[in-house]
Amino acid sequence: MASAVNTTPLHLLFSLLVLQFASGFIVNDDKYKRQVSLELNPGLNASVRPPPGVGLLHVRALGANDTLHFLLCSLDAPTLMLVHTNSSSSSVKVDWRRFLSGNTSGSLRVEPQSSVQYSSALVFTRVWEYDDANDTADPQTLPPSSFLPPYQLQNFTWEDLGQTVNLTTDTARLCGQDGAASFRNGSFCLQISAFGSGGRDPGWPRLLHNANSSQLRVWLDGVTARSNFSRFFLELETVGRSDLLSRVDVLRSIDDEYTPSIFEVSQWVASPPNATSPVLGYTQWKPVAYRSATPNLEQATPCRHSEPLPLARLPPSGLVRAYFGDGYRASGLNVTFGIAGDPMYSASKYLSWTVLVGLGSPPVDSFSPVVIAIMAVGLGTPMILILVGGVCVCVRRKRVEPLAYEPIN
Amino acid sequence: MERENTTDVEGFRYSTLKSSYKRELKQSEKGSHSSQRSGRSWKMAETEDLLNEYEPLQPRADSGARKPLAAVCDPSRLAHRVVVLTFMCFLGFGSYFCYDNPAALQIQVQKDMKLTTSQFMQLYAWYSWPNVVLCFFGGFLLDRVFGIRLGTVIFSLFVCFGQVIFAAGALFNAFWLMEVGRFVFGIGGESLAVAQNTYAVSWFKGKELNLVFGLQLSMARLGSTVNMNIMGWVYGHMQSLQGSTGHTTLGATLMIAGVTCLFSLVCALVLGYLDKRAEKILNKEQGKTGEVIKLTDVKDFSFSLWLIFLICVAYYAAIFPFIGLGQVFFIEKFNFSPAEARAVNSIVYIISAPASPILGFLVDKTGKNVIWVLCAVVATLAAHMMLAFTFWNPWIAMSLLGVSYSLLACALWPMVAFLVPEHQLGTAYGFMQSIQNLGLALIAMAAGSILDNSGYLFLEVFFCASVCLALIAVVMLYFVNLLRGGDLNLSASARAKLQKSATSDSE
Repeated sequence: MASAVNTTPLHLLFSLLVLQFASGFIVNDDKYKRQVSLELNPGLNASVRPPPGVGLLHVRALGANDTLHFLLCSLDAPTLMLVHTNSSSSSVKVDWRRFLSGNTSGSLRVEPQSSVQYSSALVFTRVWEYDDANDTADPQTLPPSSFLPPYQLQNFTWEDLGQTVNLTTDTARLCGQDGAASFRNGSFCLQISAFGSGGRDPGWPRLLHNANSSQLRVWLDGVTARSNFSRFFLELETVGRSDLLSRVDVLRSIDDEYTPSIFEVSQWVASPPNATSPVLGYTQWKPVAYRSATPNLEQATPCRHSEPLPLARLPPSGLVRAYFGDGYRASGLNVTFGIAGDPMYSASKYLSWTVLVGLGSPPVDSFSPVVIAIMAVGLGTPMILILVGGVCVCVRRKRVEPLAYEPIN
Repeated sequence: MERENTTDVEGFRYSTLKSSYKRELKQSEKGSHSSQRSGRSWKMAETEDLLNEYEPLQPRADSGARKPLAAVCDPSRLAHRVVVLTFMCFLGFGSYFCYDNPAALQIQVQKDMKLTTSQFMQLYAWYSWPNVVLCFFGGFLLDRVFGIRLGTVIFSLFVCFGQVIFAAGALFNAFWLMEVGRFVFGIGGESLAVAQNTYAVSWFKGKELNLVFGLQLSMARLGSTVNMNIMGWVYGHMQSLQGSTGHTTLGATLMIAGVTCLFSLVCALVLGYLDKRAEKILNKEQGKTGEVIKLTDVKDFSFSLWLIFLICVAYYAAIFPFIGLGQVFFIEKFNFSPAEARAVNSIVYIISAPASPILGFLVDKTGKNVIWVLCAVVATLAAHMMLAFTFWNPWIAMSLLGVSYSLLACALWPMVAFLVPEHQLGTAYGFMQSIQNLGLALIAMAAGSILDNSGYLFLEVFFCASVCLALIAVVMLYFVNLLRGGDLNLSASARAKLQKSATSDSE
């Protein structure tokens, strides 16, 4: 018994050490840096007053000779737009009167327009709820009667984006409610994090980001489930040039040290039809959602995505309407949270999911220096021992030999 | 000289120290495999000597007038010994079956009791804690305090009550009670293995002893394997019976698993009765472990022996905690179905059953124990690195792990007998067992929290590091032995020569 009691501090110490090791080293593979600045409602003057809850956040990520513009807007369905220009002086121009009136293409431009290299948008269109009484967690196999009326995010009332902008951490949060009773104590939120350099967020899933990306964490908190066995899924759409192919690649990775127990990463990429040409832009996520605001292994729940389908029309988003015109096309997919046997939404009343949106090829995880160091020391030490020991033994034998009797002749 | 008096047991010549290696070998197979659970059979070496005095299991001279018994009932006949053997084999079945219950039901335990992985691994740690101390006293309790018959029944009762408390903890949704259950279970489990070996020696010494050890070992493996593959199914049935899952489903499932312990308790009672009966009919005494433990002997332990202890701790730390967490690992990383994951997780046990005797024979015939240990450690390292850094089918890595694990058991445990004078063997093995249990308890807890915080890759790297530590110790052992001219790494023929000259010297 005594030994059991005495080792508890030891155990604590050990786990602390491990924690220290695991969190102390964060690799910054990507050395490319950008200067990030956040601006709310660019170019808005006193003459125009946007309706309450409508805000446009402009994240300008200035590189050596190019600029990335990220735009997050709550006009209609919440949208994150990405525009890449090859000029370090490009800017976002908004004709606010036309922009707010809606249905007018070209009210939001990035100038000079000739500098624009690539643009795309990710739109969160609907949150679906379904009655999973048989606990299959597979909405594709369920009859239509199982589906409850979806929450249309374009109808949500959004809180003031300006109050949540944090210029030190380069984050902003957008929270909204549906008018329905089920959202009385609940909300659907998106938090954007912009990055000037490579790294990882401290919280799981700790996606690797670089200067060409920004991260969106989406969570559904405190919503009253409308059935006893409610599960949720999220409908996403991307808008991109119509000549680009949209597909989801699922890559397996042996490295789960940043997102424990997750050995896959999914990336929804836009690439030219030519198979060899590189990916132009991506939306990347790990197939995991968390059922608590402080993610841990027990609260992790797997998520799955459906195959992306080309859509006939562009999503109901203010940004998309204002910026994208002909030559752009939308495709959509659903992300389902939970698998059979997992607790229903109402057990924790919380779901959080994180995606990374960026330009170029998605970042690829690599081993942390701790892992490499441990393996190097672990494998190197025996090798050195064998070498040193072998030399020692040889030397000794040599030294002993002359002492031995030798034939006189 | 009783010892010099070579007794032919299954074709093995037993003489003094050097030859006790062979007995060790057999023992160790048993011991080490059973996970930490074991390794104490070596104590039999001394037991056999003790028992030599009662050697002939012949009817007492004065009972000559007794009317002849049917073969099955006559303790001096093979038929009766087979009956006894059956009970002996099933004596340990319950404890082996229930030891890995948490591993077989990891997902369900964690879900129903809402546990983190580190809390889950506490169930294994609590099993090991009592054995850190009991390794020194289990034999003493059996010999001096309870006697083998009562002792076996008492330890079986501990196993039973431990499992019942464990299951009750799940029924009442009290995790602390489950931990208490594992602690009580641990008190009984390890000592029961010693009792089982003592019974085996007492009944089969000079007869089918090696075969019996082999059979008991296979039963142990069978228990673990059946557990791994059947518990999920039992849980599924309980679930459909109750119509819902929850801690009561888990509790009921574990109670059902407890039936195997009850069965083992019945075996203990029957064995006690048969042993008593044999004592009356034959001039036979209660078996003794013959274990002598003197803690002050520790100061005489050589550097090589400490290296062996280090290998033992570092190596087994990368096996048993891994198997404890294996099932979910195979599901998460390799997308295995739960049933397939349980099967691949139990392959180590399945392989070790047939591989142990074969590899034991191989090591026995060739000698060179250090090289064999080195091979086993390198193979284990390779297996763990495969699991860590590749998506190769885990059947490959786990089979390799199974073979190397059996090989290590055959080659490592006997080495102690070369390094320690016979009268200190008890202390040395007790110490080895004790720190092995200490290591397992600590590593089990560490493994859980590593997984919770840093995931499977890091956990596998941690196990690799542990095996690397064992590798370093083996390499050092090789050179220390080489430089000091020790006989750990002699070939079997050189060893025989040495033994011959030692024998002639003493004459």
